Amino acid sequence: MKYLVSTLALIVLGAGIFGFVCYRLSCDSALHAAAEKRDAWHWLRQDFHLTDQQFAAIQVVHQAYAGSCVEHCRLIQEATKVRDALTAKPSSPADRVAAEVAVKELRSVCEHALTGHVQKVAALMSVEDGRRYLALMLPKIAAFDHATAPDLQMNHTH
Amino acid sequence: MTITPDSLTERLRAWRVSPPADPAFRPQVWARLRRSAHVTWVNYLRPHAVVWLFTAIAACGVAAYTGRTAAVIRARVDREVLVSTYLVELDPRVQAGLLSIQP
Repeated sequence: MKYLVSTLALIVLGAGIFGFVCYRLSCDSALHAAAEKRDAWHWLRQDFHLTDQQFAAIQVVHQAYAGSCVEHCRLIQEATKVRDALTAKPSSPADRVAAEVAVKELRSVCEHALTGHVQKVAALMSVEDGRRYLALMLPKIAAFDHATAPDLQMNHTH
Repeated sequence: MTITPDSLTERLRAWRVSPPADPAFRPQVWARLRRSAHVTWVNYLRPHAVVWLFTAIAACGVAAYTGRTAAVIRARVDREVLVSTYLVELDPRVQAGLLSIQP
């Protein structure tokens, strides 16, 4: 009986060690390090196999986009303020609807701008990596479910 | 020959079993106990080698699959975090605090 238990214990221990080794070998340590540091740029470079030229070109595209992002952000904030002000005080339903529509339209414009931006970035990658990049980004942009990222600062603006 | 129920009952009642005592029974039991006390781990494994080998291979297979699956799940979670972090930086809707508006 004692040998039965010992043999079982040995097998469980060996399998545990083997499983852990398989886990460590299958882990993408660079990806995990980037996730811990929230270093999206490092991840972009590593995960999409960007060359120095591709990475530099993508940074240029990002900088060009940043200007329109700031402007869109400002317009949304203004439209949101107007809408909230109309909601807070007695106002005509037509005005409130118009303000809400304005916010939604700006939101749609931003979504299209961001979609266009990620498509430009994808075009700078290799075909396969670009496809994978878009497959990750586009559903999130459409669903707007990245808004609850763990490190999101609610009052952050450009 | 026909046996009436009464005579069968009588016969069963009268039936006695008296097996001859085996004089070697007791020494054989003790000898077996003594042998089992000196069995080593290797001696135990040898007759069960196929079963234990199969068990070890199956356990390692399950462990390898579990380890790999855990790594894949972790990579997926890490990638989700990074995609969200990346898009939060780029999305004016998030920067403007449009968190409560759903499409």
